Amino acid sequence: MAFLELNALTKRFGPVTAVDRISFNVEQGSFVSLLGPSGCGKTTTLQMIAGFENVTSGKITLNGRDLAGVPARHRGLGIVFQSYALFMHMTTAENVSFGLEMRGVPGAERKIRVARALDLVHLSHLSDRYPRTMSGGQRQRVALARALVIEPELLLLDEPLSNLDAKLREEMQLELRRIQREAGVTTLMVTHDQAEALALSDRVVVLEKGQVQQEAAPFDVYETPHTAFVSSFIGKSNTLPATLVSGDASGSIVECAGVRLQAGATPLAAGPVQIAIRPERIEVVDDGAVLTGKVSERVFLGNQWLLTVATPVGNLLVLRRNAGRSEADIGDTVGLAFRRVDLRILASSEAAA
Amino acid sequence: MRRNGPFAIGFMALFALFMLAPIIVVLGVSVTPTGYLEFPPSGLSLRWFRAILDNPDFIDAAINSLKLGVVSATLATLVAVPAAMAIDRRRFHGREALLAFFMSPLMVPTVVLGIAFLRFLTLIGFNGTFSGLAVCHAIIVTPFVLRLVLASLSGLDRAVEKAAVALGASDWTVFRRITMPSILSGIIGGWVLAFITSFDEVTVTIFIVNPSTTTLPVRLFSHIAQTTDPLVASVSAVAILFTVAVMLLVDRIYGLDRLLIGEGAK
Ligand SMILES: Nc1ncnc2c1ncn2[C@@H]1O[C@H](COP(=O)(O)OP(=O)(O)OP(=O)(O)O)[C@@H](O)[C@H]1O
Ligand SMILES: [Mg+2]
Repeated sequence: MAFLELNALTKRFGPVTAVDRISFNVEQGSFVSLLGPSGCGKTTTLQMIAGFENVTSGKITLNGRDLAGVPARHRGLGIVFQSYALFMHMTTAENVSFGLEMRGVPGAERKIRVARALDLVHLSHLSDRYPRTMSGGQRQRVALARALVIEPELLLLDEPLSNLDAKLREEMQLELRRIQREAGVTTLMVTHDQAEALALSDRVVVLEKGQVQQEAAPFDVYETPHTAFVSSFIGKSNTLPATLVSGDASGSIVECAGVRLQAGATPLAAGPVQIAIRPERIEVVDDGAVLTGKVSERVFLGNQWLLTVATPVGNLLVLRRNAGRSEADIGDTVGLAFRRVDLRILASSEAAA
Repeated sequence: MRRNGPFAIGFMALFALFMLAPIIVVLGVSVTPTGYLEFPPSGLSLRWFRAILDNPDFIDAAINSLKLGVVSATLATLVAVPAAMAIDRRRFHGREALLAFFMSPLMVPTVVLGIAFLRFLTLIGFNGTFSGLAVCHAIIVTPFVLRLVLASLSGLDRAVEKAAVALGASDWTVFRRITMPSILSGIIGGWVLAFITSFDEVTVTIFIVNPSTTTLPVRLFSHIAQTTDPLVASVSAVAILFTVAVMLLVDRIYGLDRLLIGEGAK
């Protein structure tokens, strides 16, 4: 039995089904991300686990204990809110101490544990400051310390980094991972930022319209997306409609806009499908081109070039490492090639996404 | 920040003059040695301040007004804070109606309110009593407290309270340790506004006082109706000085900016 289990969890707001039969597990000590676009039900799911939102149907089990009927204040979870929700009229130390006071921890021990928590988030020097006088990153750390000091069974993070600027966000990603490891706390994070989810998590649960699309390790979500939605939501992807002509365990043939292409293996039967390929898996070659096309756009990204190439099957994004040489320019004709396993076949029922 | 131009400075000076002029006139008249209202005063005399001491009914009226202000503002706050919590937090039927009900004293003309209170208090035998007066004033000033408390509640991030709950706090603890301190400036601001409103209320009060419970504004009003000596000016001057003293005290203890504008640095 897993540490945290969600079983067909459902939440309806009147006619709106915000969360639709979500099931997934979180193993003890692991870091799991709930990833999806805005409005897909991430916060609602988190609020149900925290006990702030009633469950319409389904079950939440934490460490073998059914959470139904357990009020939020008895769940003993650590929560970091998107707005941090610090107590503005209390100092850093008072903020962190609050949860221990509520648990009746005696003063002397409280002091020691607050100091330890502040030390963990590298904030000992600001223990007497008020939140108003601190930066976003510092507030974030206070919120983390406040949630961790009660030694929760489970840490819930709702978009913890989305209020920080890009540079600080990267820094805090590493910090968050270090703190989580050091505290050894099982963590469930909600985010709409796929890069953040991939960077931080042991496992990623991709959500769309209240339903789980895929649950896997970050590498697998990226490499073997199960649906066209996952493929395009995580990383960049060229997704095109096509027809599966024939296929078996060794590979398959698809037809896309009249062009026959060799693709990876698929369990699907012949018929309409989607094909997807990542921009960085397409090579620009002189010989052995699978497709040829004309460069219609070129964007310089510093370490990479992003080309848009108009080919017979449609516009393809191509990502090229900047090797210090000049790149094919707009109007140039280029040959494109890729390994057949990199051309993935996805069921077309997801095409609507 | 952009510097103010001469036009803006002139405008602000005019505005300040307009606000201060009546106060300056009152202070000027209060020190006149003559027996009639005179401005600018022809000399400096404390004659009319001494005259206050010879009119103990003014002092009684002032004490009445103070007591009434404190009691009615406190009553109003005790009603308005829970009401504001319910109106802000709960989505129940009749929520709008409840809000309209609490705000209605602002809508009804005060003369009408005065007559209504008079009829009602007479009916239940409370006319002219201090408690009757206090309840009526509390009703009149409740909207002011309610409005300020509602405003500070709507500025409060609900996640802050959830965070406290998640850390194990009970509802009462959340209110006492988190919500209350966060809206304290609204509560205190509301109380002060309620006190001031009660302190200078005339229209309703004049209907429901009797000589033993009369308030300072009503006493001044009836005094003016009979004579026109500078006594009213000296009494007003004392009230003004008292107000200034209270404001200075509040500013020292709590900070006027925080009270009147809310938020501000701690
Ligand atoms: N109290 C509510 N009443 C009605 N509908 C709600 C309520 N709360 C959420 N919803 C709806 O439920 C859906 C999921 O909302 P939720 O806040 O869980 O999304 P989210 O994935 O957290 O999005 P975001 O990334 O924008 O925070 C949305 O369509 C939203 O409109
Ligand atoms: Mg959300």
